[in-house]
Amino acid sequence: MRALTLTATLLLLVAAGRPSGTSFPWQQAGLTERQAAAHLLNRFAYGPRPGEVDRIVETGLERWFERQLDAELPDRRLEERLRELPALEMPSAQIIETYSRFAGDQEHRPQRELMGQLMAQKLWRAVESENQLAEVMTDFWFNHFNVSLQDNQSRPYLLSYERDAVRPHALGRVRDLLGATARHPAMLLYLDNARSSAAPGAPTTFERARARQQERRPRGLNENYARELLELHTLGVDGGYTQKDVVEVARAFTGWSMLPPGSFRKDVERRARRAGRMGFQVEGEFLFRADLHDAGEKTVFGRRLPAGRGIEDGEAVLDLLAVHPSTARHLATKLAVRFVSDQPPKALVDRLTAVYLESGGDVRRLLRTIAESPDFWAPAAVGAKIKSPLELTASALRVVDGRVEDPRATLRWIAEMGQPLYAYQAPTGYPDRAEAWVNTGSLLNRLNFGLQLAAGRVQGVDLDLSKLNGGREPDSREAALRTYAGLLMPGRDVEPSIKTLTPMANDPGLAEKAKPLEQVVGAILGSPEFQRR
Amino acid sequence: MWTRRMFLKAGGITLFTLGSGPQFLTRAALAAPGRRRKVLVTIFQRGAMDGLMAVPPLDDALRRLRPRLAMSAARSAGDEAVLDLGTGFGLHPAFAPLLPLWKEKRLAVVHAVGSPDPTRSHFDAQDYMETGTPGRKGTASGWLNRAAGLLGHEGSPLRAVAMTSALPRSLYGDEPAIAVTDLADFRLRQPKAGEGFEALYQKTSQELLRGTASETFEAVEMLSAAEIASYRPAPGAVYPRSPLGEAMRQIALLIKADVGLEVAFAESGGWDTHVQQGTVQGSFARRARDLSEAVHAFWTDLGSRQDDVLLTTMTEFGRTVRENGSGGTDHGHGSCLFVLGNRVQGGKVHGTFPGLDSKVLFEGRDLPVTTDFRSVFCELAGGHLGVRDDVTLFPGWTGRRLPLLRA
Repeated sequence: MRALTLTATLLLLVAAGRPSGTSFPWQQAGLTERQAAAHLLNRFAYGPRPGEVDRIVETGLERWFERQLDAELPDRRLEERLRELPALEMPSAQIIETYSRFAGDQEHRPQRELMGQLMAQKLWRAVESENQLAEVMTDFWFNHFNVSLQDNQSRPYLLSYERDAVRPHALGRVRDLLGATARHPAMLLYLDNARSSAAPGAPTTFERARARQQERRPRGLNENYARELLELHTLGVDGGYTQKDVVEVARAFTGWSMLPPGSFRKDVERRARRAGRMGFQVEGEFLFRADLHDAGEKTVFGRRLPAGRGIEDGEAVLDLLAVHPSTARHLATKLAVRFVSDQPPKALVDRLTAVYLESGGDVRRLLRTIAESPDFWAPAAVGAKIKSPLELTASALRVVDGRVEDPRATLRWIAEMGQPLYAYQAPTGYPDRAEAWVNTGSLLNRLNFGLQLAAGRVQGVDLDLSKLNGGREPDSREAALRTYAGLLMPGRDVEPSIKTLTPMANDPGLAEKAKPLEQVVGAILGSPEFQRR
Repeated sequence: MWTRRMFLKAGGITLFTLGSGPQFLTRAALAAPGRRRKVLVTIFQRGAMDGLMAVPPLDDALRRLRPRLAMSAARSAGDEAVLDLGTGFGLHPAFAPLLPLWKEKRLAVVHAVGSPDPTRSHFDAQDYMETGTPGRKGTASGWLNRAAGLLGHEGSPLRAVAMTSALPRSLYGDEPAIAVTDLADFRLRQPKAGEGFEALYQKTSQELLRGTASETFEAVEMLSAAEIASYRPAPGAVYPRSPLGEAMRQIALLIKADVGLEVAFAESGGWDTHVQQGTVQGSFARRARDLSEAVHAFWTDLGSRQDDVLLTTMTEFGRTVRENGSGGTDHGHGSCLFVLGNRVQGGKVHGTFPGLDSKVLFEGRDLPVTTDFRSVFCELAGGHLGVRDDVTLFPGWTGRRLPLLRA
């Protein structure tokens, strides 16, 4: 009978044009359907909203997942919110013109407003977007191709970087991510490629008059982008490349530069477009400078890039890297770490590596492979990840149905818990493992955040705890604990938590300051169980 | 309240049955609060301090290059002019609070120090100095974190502390490190929830959470015992009312409270003096006064604990030898740093000062770097904290330590 239903479902799915018809193997892992739905929401979303676990069970787990992969659910509430943030609609050049570091006059707005909008949109999207997986993956790829707001030069380009280079490809193809990040000013500035050029004396794609060249500042190769492209973005530190490869890749990317901000921009753009025949290229803020590109022959991983070319060199390198087996393994590992556990099973990484190579780096197929793998549903994997501060905050706000009217205080909490948004200085991005998130100072702030949120003391957040229970006030602390543990940690076995939380919920000393319900919810949000996903 | 002894009792079984045991368990169990530790205190001067204004060579070369910025040497006591260090170098008068330490031979200067990487970007140069890998941006950890990891004994939860709002790059890495601007914030907002949470975390099966929680409550306990709110600096220690003064006051508090601090980090901002840098007065002088008053108060406050502490300043690069058109200086290369401690070969300008002849200047404009900053930091981490593994501390570096400490 079950087999029949399964076949019917399969047929239906095929008929509906779904590319995959497999069902997720949660039953084999011994999970209930509610547990499975909760696990899905904890990994491919920022946690469940009130009632969401039951809704997904209703929809069907696989259907929910496919909709998340499509990322086309209407998002009116969020869009309304985001309308408060004018920079989100501005082209990059206008952002640079509008927000100045030293502003204060009438034409310019201070740059911190721009950063405020960038962080606000991230928080709002994480908490409110219907297309949760798109948000999770945007966060994943931004961190993978990290650029930091600590870098003054990249800072004003960050919003456009996430919006134009990362987000559109978050569920797309790795090659597109590589191409878009390589060309974006934020990355060009952060890893110095904008100031890398053919070594003095090397032939360039377009030769300037010698006299003009001489009056310019000394030029030369800068290897930073090339090295991190290999080590962090693609092959991985043990991906089997040499210093010679780094130099050759750096040579291939010489001339990948950008239009200057400010008054020269228009002029440079006009001249560069006129010089299209000489190999110059303009696309958005990206500028390929044929006069700085090393036109000599290059050999990258044994492949010869012939002399006399221009922008094709860099593109060829990205083509090569995007489908390299080391890249496949590196990204397979990172995805498995993000979605399964800090030490993912080797068999899963192998499988993902194979799917990566077979699909040429198709993100949707990789994510589907994870969701279909028994390793994802294994009891050892459920709750194995420690939430990052953003994940903790977003999941808490989602599950208590908190409305962030003013994000500033919430963002401060996220920073104090150890994840100031967009501010990780190193190109590695935040490490994705429990040890990086759980240390003495950050854990204390996690407990404090839970207490303050429940007590309504996180400024700018509206919430109504009793509404979660249909407005009914539980008649005892124990009843409150039981009810709210179920509401805030749906699909989890809450019995152990209830047992350990009972003394805390009943501590009369605690009640002096906090109301009983606030006390109970604060204890749950601060509990070890709630730190896990 | 759960005490250390109760934790040992509860965790002891796990510890012994597992043999070596998870790292944090061992760490929490063996850390011995109340034990005095050697402490390395670092102050990062963000923005690139003009080393030639801080410790100018006392010859005419500088006056020619900086007609508006060069200061004359003091001719009589109380004269507001460059203080004579007696070694061919002067000291900017705003550093006067440090002069007694120089005379007592506890304070040394290393001149023409910096990074071999030629970048003049603040961001890149700070990044390189904090990772300790010039020219390489991808290094995951900072050198202070690696130093903490190489100490060879178990650390307290308060081993590595930055008095900053976010963890500085220097402290990125595997060793636990805390960033905090106000120690009074290091507590539970509802103090009475502490016991409840402590019991709760003691029971979780997630080892990392259990271990970290134990350390967290231990740290909270230590700090509440340190009576932060009622801390009074030693007589004569008058900290400036500034972020740096506040940071140094709290570092002194941690050292004197014996909480196991070994690596401390503070920062001093505003050294990017492109415009109207001033001479005996002005923007440079204000920064210098704040720094020297904070360090002087800190040193006085330490009292009998001075032997345990070594302090160093650092800055990402120096500034142009010539003044610019707006009464300031632009981004340069070599600068200088201060090292303070009872075992420092003080009263001396270390390193090789190459002079200001146009032929020796870096790219024709800046003081060259003749001492790699890593040879200084290696000496301090090695000589004071006992770090032996220079290769792990500064990967890829093959230089030698600059002798600065007495045996």
